[in-house]
Parts: sequence; structure tokens; C-alpha cells
Amino acid sequence: MYILAIETTGKYGSASVINETGKVFSAASGEEMNHLKGMMLLVDEAIREAGITKAELTHIAASVGPGSFTGIRIGVVTARVMAQMLGLPCIGVSSLEAMGERVLSDAIASGALYVVPLINARRHQTYAGVYEAQYTSDLEHQALFPVMEEKQYMIEDLLAGLKNKLAEYDGASVYFTGDGIDAYREIIEEEMSGHHYVFADEDLRYQHSGSVAVIALKRSKAGKVLAYNELMPEYMRLAEAEQRLRAGTLSERIRKPVQI
Amino acid sequence: MKDGRFLTLGIETSCDETAASVVAGGRFVMSNVISSQIDIHTAYGGVVPEIASRKHLECVNDVIGRALEEADVTPKEIDLIGVTYGPGLVGALLIGVAAAKAMAYACDIPLVGVNHMHGHIAANYLEHHELEPPFMALIVSGGHTEIVNVPAYNRCEKLGGTRDDAAGEAFDKIARVIGLGYPGGPKIDRAAKEGDPQSIAFKRVYLEQGSLDFSFSGLKTQALNYLNQERQAGREIKVNDVAASFQEAVVEVIADKAVMAAERYGQKQIVMAGGVASNTRLRALIEAKAGEKGITVLKPSPVLCTDNGAMIASAAYYAYRSGEKPTLELDAVPGLEF
Repeated sequence: MYILAIETTGKYGSASVINETGKVFSAASGEEMNHLKGMMLLVDEAIREAGITKAELTHIAASVGPGSFTGIRIGVVTARVMAQMLGLPCIGVSSLEAMGERVLSDAIASGALYVVPLINARRHQTYAGVYEAQYTSDLEHQALFPVMEEKQYMIEDLLAGLKNKLAEYDGASVYFTGDGIDAYREIIEEEMSGHHYVFADEDLRYQHSGSVAVIALKRSKAGKVLAYNELMPEYMRLAEAEQRLRAGTLSERIRKPVQI
Repeated sequence: MKDGRFLTLGIETSCDETAASVVAGGRFVMSNVISSQIDIHTAYGGVVPEIASRKHLECVNDVIGRALEEADVTPKEIDLIGVTYGPGLVGALLIGVAAAKAMAYACDIPLVGVNHMHGHIAANYLEHHELEPPFMALIVSGGHTEIVNVPAYNRCEKLGGTRDDAAGEAFDKIARVIGLGYPGGPKIDRAAKEGDPQSIAFKRVYLEQGSLDFSFSGLKTQALNYLNQERQAGREIKVNDVAASFQEAVVEVIADKAVMAAERYGQKQIVMAGGVASNTRLRALIEAKAGEKGITVLKPSPVLCTDNGAMIASAAYYAYRSGEKPTLELDAVPGLEF
């Protein structure tokens, strides 16, 4: 089994191949927002690193968002078309879950109970989720258990919800990751004063295909795969014009042509 | 390659049509699948880029799949992939480019990027199998009004273009204010047939002596002023007359300049392209004016005037044949020049 995983929802694109033992081979771009130009080269590099040919791939996985709309689309389209042409099943992975997966060992080692991946969605908004980082019941594996759903939050609302959770566990600590840290550090520091929390180091903070691959491997073993045309983006937000159309605030001039 | 024929798959997603097509030998259309989003964007009065991008993503696999199926070929039989990489909406372009690259990589097929405007010109090779450069090209669409000298395959020298609105854009705006709605071009064309083109004397804008450029924003202002004035005077607006007079003022200038360019460069053929090339009045007028000078006018059928994958396949074929290097590092270039 060889799963190709693609991650383009953040600033830096990457591609990984994971085999059934969980060994990961990766190629990552050092250039910001170079997803479209660089993706096939990264894919090719990851496949060669794994010592296989593309004919040996068994699944195509992609991080489906949330994140940059454009980035999401590049990754999802690349995965869909490769899967269509190679006749392979797809696996869709949440970018937030993959970000949590990436820091999981570090979070547990640091003693954090909650892992909070957050992506900057501008104007005090963030795509985020809250997970509990725990050992599984066999005590051999670590895993994330969702406790606040992945969606778009106002950063203040997210932190208020998180503090409610903290009230249940006196002294529990929080591990933040993602580029939401860069955008909302001051707000987090202010709201979280008096609580224990850490920010992920920069080398673990951003999206990477390696953790998309790790989750995809679990999914494939559980038989949770999709046909290529079922792999859909998770934008977590309507297009602005659609929001306005639904809210009835689309410019009158556009909505109703002037009648003379 | 199938039955000894070189097969090109063309992919086009620069605006609001998701399109793919298989073309044999650069000239023969084996399939031409176009999925239009026009119904979705009508609610917004024009193309919304983010919505267009989302829709392209949902359609592109199916459109490519159907293009292969209708041509009765497998991906392995495709010899070349061509994809529009500009000009256009960046979010829309990148769906086609990413899809083309993924297919090229997965199936080991060479990929070349195609300039959308070269594609519009190449649409004529699909319709007129004997056509070869040199010729003068006139491209008129929602985003473009350009006169281009074509001395050889895939060589395009832009001689003139619009300084403000494109012809199609001007039609869209006027259609909106006289209540015809979107898309303006075809609606103006239809309404104009019932109107009198001489009823309102809109001034023709030719710019400097001998210029091959266009300007339609002044004409648009004239039309808006006329409408206001009539409304204030309490006179009834005759929509068909406004459409006919406005259209006449636009197409007359376009036809005159295209013929002038062909004469200046000694070209015996004018080749039309782009959505507004379907405008019936423009077609008739340019044929009449060119005919007087012994110049032939060629135009693709309406389905090849709109954005489509076949024209991209044809342009890709000639680019590849002229030695363009295939690349998996293609990027989208929204502001791509000729």
C-alpha cells in the first residue's frame, strides 16, 4: 500500500508518500504560495523518495481545507484528476485535523490536554477546532478526540468556549498550533492569561502533507475511501457574493436590472 | 495516437465555462464538451470569480471524462494536452491548469500552456480546414476587442485593442440599464433586430486618424445620458431602438477598423473570433465592408466562438508542432498578453 498525500491549504505546499508500515517520504516547497507551479514536481519527488513509481500508488489523499480557497482547490483538483486517471480511490483529510496530528506527540509530551489548531481567516475570524490529546485505550497509540467542532469561529468565541472546557479540568493546559497564532497572538495571550498554554514551534506550526498521510493511512485501513468525484473541498465559508445573495444585501443594481 | 491520428486534449476554464475537447491533427473536432455556469451567475448580474472557481472544481473531472468518452479514446491514446493558462480569472484558470498537469503527470502526456486569445483565433482552423496564416484576426468578446496580425501559426502581433471597455462589456452594461439583463450581447443582438439603427445618432468613436484602437466608454456615457434625458422629458424609451442604435455604433467602428487593418497589412482574409463574433449585425456589416475591398471574412460557428476546449487543443497542437517545450511547471497568468 502506498498513499500519496497532498497538502496545499497553507502557505507552503508539500507532498508525501506513506507505506503500510507508516513510513513517510516527503517533499516540501520552500517558496510561499507556489502550489500550482510546484505541485507536480513535489509529487514526483515524494514518489521517487519512496523508491516507487506512480503505477504503484494505491490511494490519493488530499487535505481538503479549511485554508486558502485557492490552495484548497489546487490540492483537491490535483488529487481528483490523478485518482481519475490512475483509477485509484481518494481520501479527504481535514487540514485542521492534520495540523493537530502533526503536533500530537509534542503536545502530549508537553503535558497539554487540549490541542487547538487554528487558521487565520482574517477580521477576528478563524477556522479552528478543539481536540483532546489522549492515549488510546490500548495505551500504545496517541489520538485526537474532537471536543469542539471544526468550523469558523470569532477568535474571542473560540477562546471563550475553550475556557469553558478548561473550567471542567482544573489546571489543564492548551497547545495552540497554526497560523492563527501569528494573526491573533496578542488576543490569545490576553484571553488566556491565568491559564497554562503553549504555542507550537514554528517548525511544527504549519500544514504539512506528512500528517495528512498519517491520517489517510488510518482511514484507508478502516476502509474510509471515496471515489475521485466524491472528494470535495471544505471551505467552511460561502463565497462572499453568495453570503450577500442569501442575506438579501447583494447590491440592488446587480440584483434587479434597472427597468425603464 | 489512434488510427494514426495525433490526438490533442484541450482544457479551458478561464472564465465561466468548464470545457474539454479532443481534436485530431489540430483540425478535426472529435468531441467538444462545454459546461456553462451562466445560469448560476445570472443571479449575480455577472460572473462571480469565487463561485466560478468552485463550480469549475466540481465539473472538471466530468467534463474531461466526457470529452474522452465522446471521442471514444482512452487517456493513454492522447498525444498532447493543451490548457488555457491566461488571460482570465486566476482562480478559474488554475483549476484547468492543475487538472491538466495532474493528467499529464499521471498518464505521461506532454503538456503545453495555451494563450486563451490564440485559442480564439485557432477556432477558425477547426471550422475552415483550408485556412492557413497569414491573415488578419479580429477578436471581440466580453473581455476583448483586438485586432491581431497573424503572419504564421501561433505568431500573433497585436495591432490595436480597446482602451477602456471591451465591446461585449459595453453591450452587457447597456443591456443592464435598458432592462434586457445578462448576458447582454445576445440580448442586444436580438432586440436590435426589432429596432431602427438610425433612430438615435450615437457618435462613432474612431480615436486618432489611422488608430486601430477602440474606446467604448464614451459611447456608453452617451447612451446613459440619452436615457436620462428621455426619462426626464417623460418620453417612452424604445428599448429596441436603443439596442439597435447602440449596437450599430459599436459594430460599425469595429468593422471599419478591421478592414482598415487588413488593407494596411495586405491581408486578403479577416478571421473573426470571440463571443461577440456571433453578433449577426457585426458579421453582416464586416462582410459587406470587406467584400468591397476584395477581402474574405471567415468566422467560426457560434459554438466555436464561445469559450471551448477544441480551440485550445488546436492552438496547443500548432504550438507543440512549432517547437514549444512541454512543462509540468506551468503557472496561471491572469494578465497574459498576446
